[in-house]
Amino acid sequence: MRAEQAEVFDLGYQPYTGPREGRARARRAVLENGVRNLLGIGRGGRAKILPVLLFVAAMTPAVVFVAVLLLVPADEFIPGPADYYDIIGVVLWIFGAIMAPELLIPDRRDNVLQLYLVRTLSPADYLGARFLAFFGVVLALVYSGQIVLQIGLILSASDPLDYLGDNWLDIPRFLAGGALIALFFTVLPLLVATFTTRRAYAAAFVIGAVLVSSFVADGVTAESCTIDTGPGGSSSTQCERGIGDAAPYVALVHLGDTPGRLNTMIFDGDPTEGGPSRAAVAELHAIFPIGFYVLLTGGAGLLLWNRYRRIKL
Amino acid sequence: MAVLLEARGLTKHYGSTIALEQASFDVHEGVTGLLGPNGAGKSTAMKLFLGLILPTSGTAMVLGEEPYKSVEGRARIGYMPEHESLPPSVSASEFLMHMAQVSGLPPAHARTRAADTLRHVGLDEERYRPISEYSTGMKQRVKLAQALVHDPVLVLLDEPTAGLDPAGREEMLDLIKRTARGFGISIMLSTHLMGDVERVADSVIVLESGTVTRQDSVAQLTEETETLLIEVADRREEFAAALAAKGVAAADDGKVLVVEEAGETEYDLIRDAAAESGARLRRLTPRRRDLRDIFRKES
Repeated sequence: MRAEQAEVFDLGYQPYTGPREGRARARRAVLENGVRNLLGIGRGGRAKILPVLLFVAAMTPAVVFVAVLLLVPADEFIPGPADYYDIIGVVLWIFGAIMAPELLIPDRRDNVLQLYLVRTLSPADYLGARFLAFFGVVLALVYSGQIVLQIGLILSASDPLDYLGDNWLDIPRFLAGGALIALFFTVLPLLVATFTTRRAYAAAFVIGAVLVSSFVADGVTAESCTIDTGPGGSSSTQCERGIGDAAPYVALVHLGDTPGRLNTMIFDGDPTEGGPSRAAVAELHAIFPIGFYVLLTGGAGLLLWNRYRRIKL
Repeated sequence: MAVLLEARGLTKHYGSTIALEQASFDVHEGVTGLLGPNGAGKSTAMKLFLGLILPTSGTAMVLGEEPYKSVEGRARIGYMPEHESLPPSVSASEFLMHMAQVSGLPPAHARTRAADTLRHVGLDEERYRPISEYSTGMKQRVKLAQALVHDPVLVLLDEPTAGLDPAGREEMLDLIKRTARGFGISIMLSTHLMGDVERVADSVIVLESGTVTRQDSVAQLTEETETLLIEVADRREEFAAALAAKGVAAADDGKVLVVEEAGETEYDLIRDAAAESGARLRRLTPRRRDLRDIFRKES
């Protein structure tokens, strides 16, 4: 190359003349970063262990059911789409309890939040993007097993098209039920994560609240039975709940069962199969479990928004 | 020069604590030092300009907009906070790329900008290591880099030399100077160190107990004074006595003789005194004031 052909390129810092995509790009960046954080994408191996394990745990029952169906064609023994969310409920709680703090707490604890909020992001933008990231991942977790199960049920049927024709309603039902469940498992753990800067505390509180509420609900709806032996050797069994007629109302507090009750309604299922507290709540008018869900989810959502609206930096 | 920041009657109270009281000032293009002791209200003023907190009364305008009313106006502002504010587990490269996108840059551009900006602040190969492994100086550079990554018009730096050793401080001040002069980025620098302001700022706003006590250009404040410094090579006592005989009051500070309020006549009398006493003049210079002198005099 001759000297007159040479060019000098300044590769260092220089004024930026490229496109600026404003607030929409900012929201999208926070959302994508949230998904990456939750799934451990771009992080070391340790960050991926928990999300992978929980996704595997959420899908394993479906894979097992489908395998059984293919080996032993006796679908009456296999739990269907209506039961699936109850089976993976624990996985969802663990995911919510552990991963929600991961999404909100480090930004506050490490003071990174102020770096977000001095850019073209309002607190509502930030929270909305983080919320959608978490909701999207929980939704994927909720649907993953159901999708495997649905595909397995359809493919294992003697006539897949007939099966689909007879059971098509299961698809919108599991989509709707799954969305309600994912919303519940998103809002509550995120709200708890706004009250502390210690991830372990937030996770322990969520798991503790679920356990305590289930003990309370199961305790008040448990029936104690006495056998009366009458004259001539005839006997009758009398069963009653500890707190009588109030039991179904108290049973509403069962946090782990709150979205499951709605799922049973959506699938028009039998609430007695969902345990004593769900059976007890089913004695109430449907407005009670629906109202409790709306109150809890909506109230927690409002509180969450309010926590960030008034955040002090 | 365009006004970038404008404070009018800016007041911020935290309960009964007054952080800022009726502060009015303008910040123009260039480098402006916001000078004051700890607790003077510097960080509060910065947070008001960034829209992170609301004023109790008055207005803070940034590039013609009120930052707490519209977030769009913040697109061309950068902020380097005083305290640690970096995620420890990610690399500087990844963090900067993310922050560039949060500032509205598309991913491909964000990647290039992150690399260029980190190189500009002196982080090259280290940029792929987790931030938790960085020294204080390196973290300060990353904080500055995230404030510059989207090529802002104005950058607010809150105590940028805090926690740095003397060499690190010099490097940071050089970097700030280079950024302002080389790339035309205006900077407002909050500090309690007068030396920092003298080194890099064009103008200074002095805050004390939440009120603005002085604002002027640094050149104006440190202009040459009428004080003359005289250094002689020998016959110092004779020279001082000759000055006194001619009615020129000269204070001896051990190394030089200091003549206050020196005019044309004094210059002639000093020349004559040197000739009469046989002293050889080594230095005869008007003294420049430094900011320390000014505040010492006014307090």
